[in-house]
Amino acid sequence: MGFGRTETARVRDWGNRPIGASWPAFDLQLVTYAVLLATIGLAMAYSNSVGPGASALNAGSTFARGLLWTGLAVVVFGIVAVFDYQWLRTFAWPLYLGQIGLLVLTLAVGTGVGGVARWILIGGMAFQFSEIAKILMIVVLASFLGSRGDRAGSLRTIVGAAVLVGPPLVLVMLQPDLGTSLVFGGILVGMLFMSGASLRWLGAIASAIVVAFPFLWANVLRDYQKERLTTFLNPNPDIQGSGYQLYQSQIAVGSGGWFGKGLTNGTQNQLDFLPVQTTDFVGAILAEELGFLGCIVVFLLFAALIWRILVAGWRSRDPFGMAFAAGLASMILFQLVVNFGMVIGIMPITGIPLPFVSHGGASLISLAAGLGIIQSINVRQRRAEW
Amino acid sequence: MTGDPVMSTLSLNGRPETARRPLRFFVFALAVLIGIGSLSARLFYLQILNASRYTTLAQANRTLLNPLPAARGLIYDRDKQALVSNVPTYSVKITPADLPLRRRPDVVATLAGLLGLDPADINTAIDSSSGSRFDPVRIASDVPKSTANFIAESRLDLPGVQIDVEARRQYVDGPLLSQVVGYTGPISAAQLRALRDKGYLGDDLIGKTGLESVYETALRGTYGQQLVERNAAGQQTKVLETITEPKAGSSLVLTISRREQQMAEEALKWGIQTAGLKRGVMIVMNPQTGEILAMVSLPTYDNNAFSRGISNSAYQALLNNPDQPLLNHAVNARYPPGSTYKLVTGIGGLADGKIAATTQLQTQPFLSIGETKFYEWNKQGFGACDILCGFGHSSDTYFFQVAGMLGIDRLGYWASQLGFGQPTGIDLPGEVSGIVPTNQWKLDTLGQPIFPGETYQAGIGQGYDVVTPIQMINAYSALANGGTLYRPQLVRDIVGPDGKVTQAFQPEVVRKLEVSDKVLKTMREAARNVVLIRHTYNLVDLPIVVAGKSGTAEFGLPDAAGRLPFHSWFVAFVPKDPQKTASDPMGMKAVDRTDSELAVLAFAYDSRTKGNVATEIVKYYLQMHYGIQEDYRITDLLQRGNFYQSN
Repeated sequence: MGFGRTETARVRDWGNRPIGASWPAFDLQLVTYAVLLATIGLAMAYSNSVGPGASALNAGSTFARGLLWTGLAVVVFGIVAVFDYQWLRTFAWPLYLGQIGLLVLTLAVGTGVGGVARWILIGGMAFQFSEIAKILMIVVLASFLGSRGDRAGSLRTIVGAAVLVGPPLVLVMLQPDLGTSLVFGGILVGMLFMSGASLRWLGAIASAIVVAFPFLWANVLRDYQKERLTTFLNPNPDIQGSGYQLYQSQIAVGSGGWFGKGLTNGTQNQLDFLPVQTTDFVGAILAEELGFLGCIVVFLLFAALIWRILVAGWRSRDPFGMAFAAGLASMILFQLVVNFGMVIGIMPITGIPLPFVSHGGASLISLAAGLGIIQSINVRQRRAEW
Repeated sequence: MTGDPVMSTLSLNGRPETARRPLRFFVFALAVLIGIGSLSARLFYLQILNASRYTTLAQANRTLLNPLPAARGLIYDRDKQALVSNVPTYSVKITPADLPLRRRPDVVATLAGLLGLDPADINTAIDSSSGSRFDPVRIASDVPKSTANFIAESRLDLPGVQIDVEARRQYVDGPLLSQVVGYTGPISAAQLRALRDKGYLGDDLIGKTGLESVYETALRGTYGQQLVERNAAGQQTKVLETITEPKAGSSLVLTISRREQQMAEEALKWGIQTAGLKRGVMIVMNPQTGEILAMVSLPTYDNNAFSRGISNSAYQALLNNPDQPLLNHAVNARYPPGSTYKLVTGIGGLADGKIAATTQLQTQPFLSIGETKFYEWNKQGFGACDILCGFGHSSDTYFFQVAGMLGIDRLGYWASQLGFGQPTGIDLPGEVSGIVPTNQWKLDTLGQPIFPGETYQAGIGQGYDVVTPIQMINAYSALANGGTLYRPQLVRDIVGPDGKVTQAFQPEVVRKLEVSDKVLKTMREAARNVVLIRHTYNLVDLPIVVAGKSGTAEFGLPDAAGRLPFHSWFVAFVPKDPQKTASDPMGMKAVDRTDSELAVLAFAYDSRTKGNVATEIVKYYLQMHYGIQEDYRITDLLQRGNFYQSN
């Protein structure tokens, strides 16, 4: 595999690396969009935390924990942005092994609801390592794809990338966390596409997966997963049972109207009709309390953010930066569409968070690290010389 | 590669560092647009196009129309003394929809322990509820405050369980008026089906019997409605709006006087208990209006036990009591009237001209029809007798002859005139009609005509004759008031919550008897003669003028000595201003008047006493009512011992 072959050359490259960063290239827009999205997420957490006799700042409230995580995320972003992203290529293998280690650890000692092992408790706070694993996966894949050079279009690129994604994806599925494993798939496809993988082969493989789908359905998926995957297709779901979340979520969204009911005024949210409000179904609060226009603002922020990430990739002086930007953009887009689609009933119910907005420490820290890498790419680019 | 345009840059060392593919960037951007566009389109569909639908659903989710119960009207006696009050109590209810099935066994077991109930009873209550799964089901009423608080605080462990403050009926005198006032209780499934449209709820309380049930509509009032907000767990978070205020129910002012009721109960209890009996009835009525002043039926029960929620075992005990305490024996049961029925035969004979007031009939030891002998009660007779003599001595052979002259159908006609064989229309539930035998009646029920001997029996209130005590006192009231049969009534006024009378009851005439005043005057004198000739022992010695008729009604099967068991009756009326006067030493002028405002009836079931216990009971009541200091009661007459020998 090309992954190892270029290692000596890369080590030899060390001498050519820039010693400083070009801070004027720091992308303030990128940070602004991300901060705005995270702020909206905090607003949602605030709305969910206040109530009669409950201050949003109570220790342990969703809002208080959200603030803490946001602060931590800013620090992580700063450190990673200062750090030269080129070193990530060097340490791709250890990072890959570390990623697999984290996932194995999660399986071994993780806790979760209903027989799943998804979180690890650190100091009383649940931490989802699969979120970190997603960013590490992007780093590892970017490192691999960046090394392919002229051979990017060969089948081996696709096979190699798939082989790299395989073990973490299987480990995540074993938790079982179908949603996150789908994100891995989304990242893989997005990165292969943007790195110049053969469209013919991609198409062929996609066809093969479609053909194999009935087999996967029958043998791999668990009953509750199938139920969640099909609920959204059912026009008359069992609203007291498996369709309850979706039903209540759509009521919340639909009753929001143009402008929403106002922050902290959403009855579906405040009276606890929405399940997992601040995490997976944060979009429902958003739609209920801030309305259609609030959602459109959030969508536009996402579009702008993805645009800035792609710009960083375009400007990157090496294929690693390009591939990494593609991976991060793919991840954010995939999660946006699947998560929000779930909230409004056009996507199956999976436990995928809405980037920046959903409450969740690991997700936010991982995204901060991802954006930090993007800024690192920005400040270490050379002006395009074409 | 697929012919993608590639833009390359060269690094300082000449190696291509990156390959830029504008088309793929473009495609990616397109994917972003398509993704966000789809989300926006769906959002537009939900939030803008279907906003009203989902707004309604959200509203329905969070709001609940709660009924606001109206205060039930009270019940007062004729002197405005309260007979019932509404006491706030805690009740425990379960809303089945909010109780997950898998937690139900735990919740039911916990509740059973806290409330001291059988878990099976709780399960039955939940499962037999006729309402929807969202209607609360009452599990227990009148729960102690500490238990109610504990349950209210254990919300999380007891999903679907709620504590309601409910008004329970507290009956001031309990057993004294149970059979008249009745009680309220949880609405039954059948009642709910019939009344749901009128705003009754699955966990509602409703008048179950007595006046509480007859005047349910007036007493209940109108429930209000309140819009409340609730959360997903079903807990009410706040009151949004009171849509309609509840309107309190109207109150009843009864014709019953608590004082008279207590006297009547005291008199009846004394007589019954002294004689070692169990069952008896006493009624006091105003013949001028049909108003009931007192109505006692023994044995009685405590209606508070029902309003508190009676246990199944206690209820079964009441149902299985052979003396049927749950029945008001004044209206819900029928008994042979015995000699009190001779009023019918006497009025009939006089009115139809079969006899005149002066007509003498020979009374004998017995009359014969074919082989069968019909004995005088003393087996001797009283010689030649006119109606005063025959009625006074209660001569059987006298009335056999009058009945024979009338024939069964005319006898039946006059019985019907006096209100027998039909409900009196008193405002109590379950009134029975009794039987007035006629040829047609016997053909219809037994397929044969009446035999002559049966006419004899019917003439003295035996055989097929059965009547209710309320019919009997109503007939004598018509005699006392000069021939008007009134509908007996228990309610004087219905009073609105503002204290204003909304409905004042007037005397209701059922019919004017088709007899001359002369006939009735003769019969009143005959009734006075019963007392005068000491047929009723020393009743004549009372300082007041009393007229009446006793009855000894045989029933059932003879004992070893060939003696039949019997009930004792006495029904009397007292003229207005009843004090004996020098100008009217016999009291005959007093009973010629039709101004009596007091009729009294006593009935003792299966008495078999030496003397007529009912007469003693009425005597005792009259002593109390008129404040007669001297005690005329003859306790010796109340000893068990069959004075009335049959053959």
